Amino acid sequence: MVEPKVQGNISPVGENKPRIDAREKVTGAAVYADDIQFGNGLLHARIKRSPHPHALIKKIDVTKARALPGVKAVVTGEDFPGYIGLYLQDRYIFCRDRVRYVGDPVAGVAASSVEIAEQALDLIEVEYELLPPVLDPEFGAGAEAPLLHPDLGKYVVANFIFPQAGTNISNHFKIRKGDVDGAWEQCAAVVERKYRIPHIQHVPIETHVAIAKVEVTGEITLWGSSQSPFAQRNLIAQSMGISQSKMRVIAPFVGGGFGCKAGVSMEALAVAIATKVKGHPVKLVLTREEEFYTAFVRQGLVAYFKIGCDAQGRLLAMENKFYWDGGAYTEYGVNVTRASGYSSSGPYEVPNIKTDSCCVYTNHPVGGPMRGFGMPEMHAGLEQCIDELALQIKMDAVDFRRLNCLKTGSSLVTGSRMHPTGLPQCIEKAADAIGWGRKAPASAPNKRRGKGLALMWKAPAMPPNAGSSAWVELAEDGSLNVGVGGQDLGQGVFTVAAQMAAAALGVPYESVRVAIPVDTRYSPYEWQTVASRLTWSMGNAIVNAAKDARRQILETVSAAWEEPIENLDIVNGVVISFKSEKEVPLKNLVIYGLPKPDGQGWRGGPIVGRGNFMPTYVTGLDPETGQGERAVVHYTTGAQAVELEVDLETGRIDILRGVSAFDVGKAINPELVKAQMEGGFVQGMSSALFESLQLKGGVLQNPSFVDYRIATSTDAPKDLEAFIVEVPQDDGPWGARGIGEHSMVPTIPAIANAIYDAVGIRLDGPPFTAEKVYLAMLDAGIVK
Amino acid sequence: MAFHKINITVNGAQEQVVVPSNMTLMQMLRESLALTGTKNGCSAGECGACTALMNGEPVNTCMVLAAECDGVEIVTVEGLADDNRLSPLQEAMLATGGVQCGFCTPGVLISSRALLDRNPNPSEDEIREALVGNLCRCTGYVRIIEAVKAAARTQVAASA
Amino acid sequence: MTLDTHPTLPEFEYIRPATLAEASDFLARHAGEARPFLGGTDVFVRMRDGFLTPRYLVDVKRLDGMNDLRFDPQAGLTIGAAVNMNRVAAAPEVQAHYPLLAEACRTVASYQLRTRATIVGNICNASPAGDTIGACLLFDGVLHIQGVDGPRLEPLKSFFLGPGKTTLKPGDIVTAIQFPLPPQGCQGTYIKLGRNKLSDLSIVGVTALGCPDAACASGYRFRVALTSVAPVPLVAGAVETCLAENPITPDAIQEAARLAAEASTPIDDVRGSARYRKQMVGKLSARALNAVWRKLG
Repeated sequence: MVEPKVQGNISPVGENKPRIDAREKVTGAAVYADDIQFGNGLLHARIKRSPHPHALIKKIDVTKARALPGVKAVVTGEDFPGYIGLYLQDRYIFCRDRVRYVGDPVAGVAASSVEIAEQALDLIEVEYELLPPVLDPEFGAGAEAPLLHPDLGKYVVANFIFPQAGTNISNHFKIRKGDVDGAWEQCAAVVERKYRIPHIQHVPIETHVAIAKVEVTGEITLWGSSQSPFAQRNLIAQSMGISQSKMRVIAPFVGGGFGCKAGVSMEALAVAIATKVKGHPVKLVLTREEEFYTAFVRQGLVAYFKIGCDAQGRLLAMENKFYWDGGAYTEYGVNVTRASGYSSSGPYEVPNIKTDSCCVYTNHPVGGPMRGFGMPEMHAGLEQCIDELALQIKMDAVDFRRLNCLKTGSSLVTGSRMHPTGLPQCIEKAADAIGWGRKAPASAPNKRRGKGLALMWKAPAMPPNAGSSAWVELAEDGSLNVGVGGQDLGQGVFTVAAQMAAAALGVPYESVRVAIPVDTRYSPYEWQTVASRLTWSMGNAIVNAAKDARRQILETVSAAWEEPIENLDIVNGVVISFKSEKEVPLKNLVIYGLPKPDGQGWRGGPIVGRGNFMPTYVTGLDPETGQGERAVVHYTTGAQAVELEVDLETGRIDILRGVSAFDVGKAINPELVKAQMEGGFVQGMSSALFESLQLKGGVLQNPSFVDYRIATSTDAPKDLEAFIVEVPQDDGPWGARGIGEHSMVPTIPAIANAIYDAVGIRLDGPPFTAEKVYLAMLDAGIVK
Repeated sequence: MAFHKINITVNGAQEQVVVPSNMTLMQMLRESLALTGTKNGCSAGECGACTALMNGEPVNTCMVLAAECDGVEIVTVEGLADDNRLSPLQEAMLATGGVQCGFCTPGVLISSRALLDRNPNPSEDEIREALVGNLCRCTGYVRIIEAVKAAARTQVAASA
Repeated sequence: MTLDTHPTLPEFEYIRPATLAEASDFLARHAGEARPFLGGTDVFVRMRDGFLTPRYLVDVKRLDGMNDLRFDPQAGLTIGAAVNMNRVAAAPEVQAHYPLLAEACRTVASYQLRTRATIVGNICNASPAGDTIGACLLFDGVLHIQGVDGPRLEPLKSFFLGPGKTTLKPGDIVTAIQFPLPPQGCQGTYIKLGRNKLSDLSIVGVTALGCPDAACASGYRFRVALTSVAPVPLVAGAVETCLAENPITPDAIQEAARLAAEASTPIDDVRGSARYRKQMVGKLSARALNAVWRKLG
């Protein structure tokens, strides 16, 4: 554990410091991408998109569109031959030869107004030759499915992703541990289930926004609502065939991301168009409807589970098959497949396990990262199977979990050992708070009440060497400026960054500011704001930067006072000596240094500390068995429990209470941690009850808030509790590990288990709409 | 395209703006007056991010034509603080942690302000009902609701 | 809402006539290319979607009488076309004499949308899902219409021709809806089943109104209006007959609810299946009738 010198009782770590950005946000002063003023030179972009799920492009005629007064540029795929993608470079910026989903970009227009750009779209003529679409991942994985990416074998791919050339399978991740086939006969109970998890959308309240400007010199600036300015710099530069140093990304405040603003998506369109109108900023704002159609989706999943245990309830074997509906391009989704594979045991010790997790191309929207990165989808089924297995052997579902859950030192699905974990404590907190085992009466005769609980685990899913860096510098007044490349999407990471920097250096929290907006030209490198990795990874970089500055400061003072460094400390912005009891405020030395005696010159100088962090210990996994020394950096674990009522007359579900307990290692800011648990619970609840992209023949039926419903203020439970468990992470700052995504991982199965407890039905997948619940009760004879 | 000259009071300041027929009040605030605190989340009256007060009542400004606004009075999120002093609602949102990404926050503040104006002491259910048109994806709403309750207590105490 | 939904409103000309006659005349002269609008909450959305492409939008909100809300102890309630739903819901006259109307208004979308949304607009859109329409039908609403040939009255019950279709002709402007005095001692309720607890469009809407009525064998007259379950909002006549002729018992209410379900002709759409809707008409009609019966008791 990185444990900076503790600064007495003034350390802001562990304190509920107010958000550093809240004042700007409550006054309307906070600047988001669409708020930046560009003046009269600004052009507006719109995108011509495919209305077909799968077709060859025979011809594109843009002559009429180009001739429309006010149109400054019309671009097509012809102009941009480079591939783009995070883990698998399988897409063009604009389609070149074929379209693969409804919404695939075919051409782009820049015009002096949005209206003119819209009119130009109508003038672009595209001739298609329709092809049969693939609309189901299981079918898509088979030999009879039309091939969507004939060039799959030629794509550039990360070395831990395994595409199967000549098929639609863009990644096949395998786990082979123990002897699964031999284990079934020792099982006293076996549960076999199939689940279908629908596509959903992230639905940030701010849609995607990008403004790109290309100088005559070819230098590119991109302003975007972005979780990943550095990844965008790298991937867009690669695709356009330019140097990364010519690409600059500026990322102002983000109005919610949840994964969909990670990697590169529509930003590349704005850049591509801007290359044809040099000197003009070009703005592309997705309409809410486009956001539903074309932003990264949480990809669909068809999951098969077979799970068995012995008569004492000990889990013996698991056999899992996941068919991920990766959509038209799986450049990012391939790693969801991998993550669900190496986590496929769930948070349990299972001696024998076989998993096949396949990412399959379909003609559906493009799958990408979403809060939880495959874990909510996978746990949705797995945690229901656990309840069913417990029921079969007549064991209490919580006792079953107590027995089988991962503990410190447990053997993991990938062969390594579990690091210290507080999962057992999380189970106790959640079970206790929900009143497990006690049944409360329903609030009305037509209602039935139930409780459910589910566990989770999740690791940051990222390349083994995803890195962070940070710098700190001090101003004349002793205030601290912290440079980071990670982004605040609302989770509060700027606040936490300031707390950690203040604590590690020894200055008051109030004197810290974070150097924003993130700008790849000035901000230090950060891989991406994803995977709940910033508090841990960027936090370590900040601590290292602060230590570096601290060393510089103390060396200067030590020389000036002729005292060993061990005698010195920085407390509350003042350097003090325990021995001589001398003190000097930082502001007196951090720019100009300290004078030597008798006018003999000066020592020190402006203080700039730098630090970085990159995990160096993550190993590869065997492609045939998924076994390896250390698959991931760590796992955050936790539990959720719910109490709900089902209305027997309508099937409506009312979530009465939600309880969350997660092991975050160390809560740098406990209230922000709890806020993540609450927000995640409600987003998870929303996905459990309301959300699905209704795709019919590849066409989205509900591309607006009218028919894609999310939880409102009236749907959120009145009683939401959050418990923090702290079993420290050995390489986390103060022991911290991530919590952003985890809080929506166990919500779907916790609710499903509670529905079963209430009325005795199980559905094959969310959302558990009133209609599905009612008709299931009707068909089961529970109501009539 | 027809244009209309309108006189409008925004956050206490009188403005004269020439607007095309198809410009919404949201566009006018954001583009003509550079009051970008009012956010565009859906342009369909569904998400509430663009909510502002029009003659004291909250409206989705994406669903109002600027041309209709001759003679009306608008208050946006930029008009809630008194000079540099935050309103009790803004203070409460800071204190309870009702802000995360902040994109829904302006609309939430305006809807809450309108609620407290018409009902200084709302019940929790009334608060939830008043905010049903302000979608928030980050907070799960609980801290927002706490903030409105806290601001109501402050205001009631101040007027007692 | 489609992939091609416009980011902004397409071009049109905003017209604000000074008088009703002028407005009506303009609309008649530009039949097919001019539309009157009130709050615009529906029109703007459909224009962004490209379903409506008016050349002129005629703002009729500030015309004479459009903003009046009057209650007369003899003539009943008149609500000007431009009176927004929040005002209706908060009006003491409405709360005192037509609380069902206030209740229905409060279920529409959100408070800020209701600052603009109007009952008359809700009616003129002729959506099968209109939340306030059931109450307006059961209170025997009559529309005041200004046409090129002058004003006329039209009962709401014969106004709807199909989804989005009404008897309005070019040049017609609905200026108000009027309700006679409600039946003595009446009680009502509106039960809306949406996906969310509030703010959603209805999957099924059931409005019920009951009152003591000596002319009925049962001593009571019950009426039920159904929304989202037929091409137009529907008054289930069989329910009225059933509960007029039979003593009001739990069984009779069950039977009436069954008749309501039978009268509905729902379809499958993105919000719900026909099968579920038909089930829900029965369940929610029973719930609504029981609630009204309890209130009458």
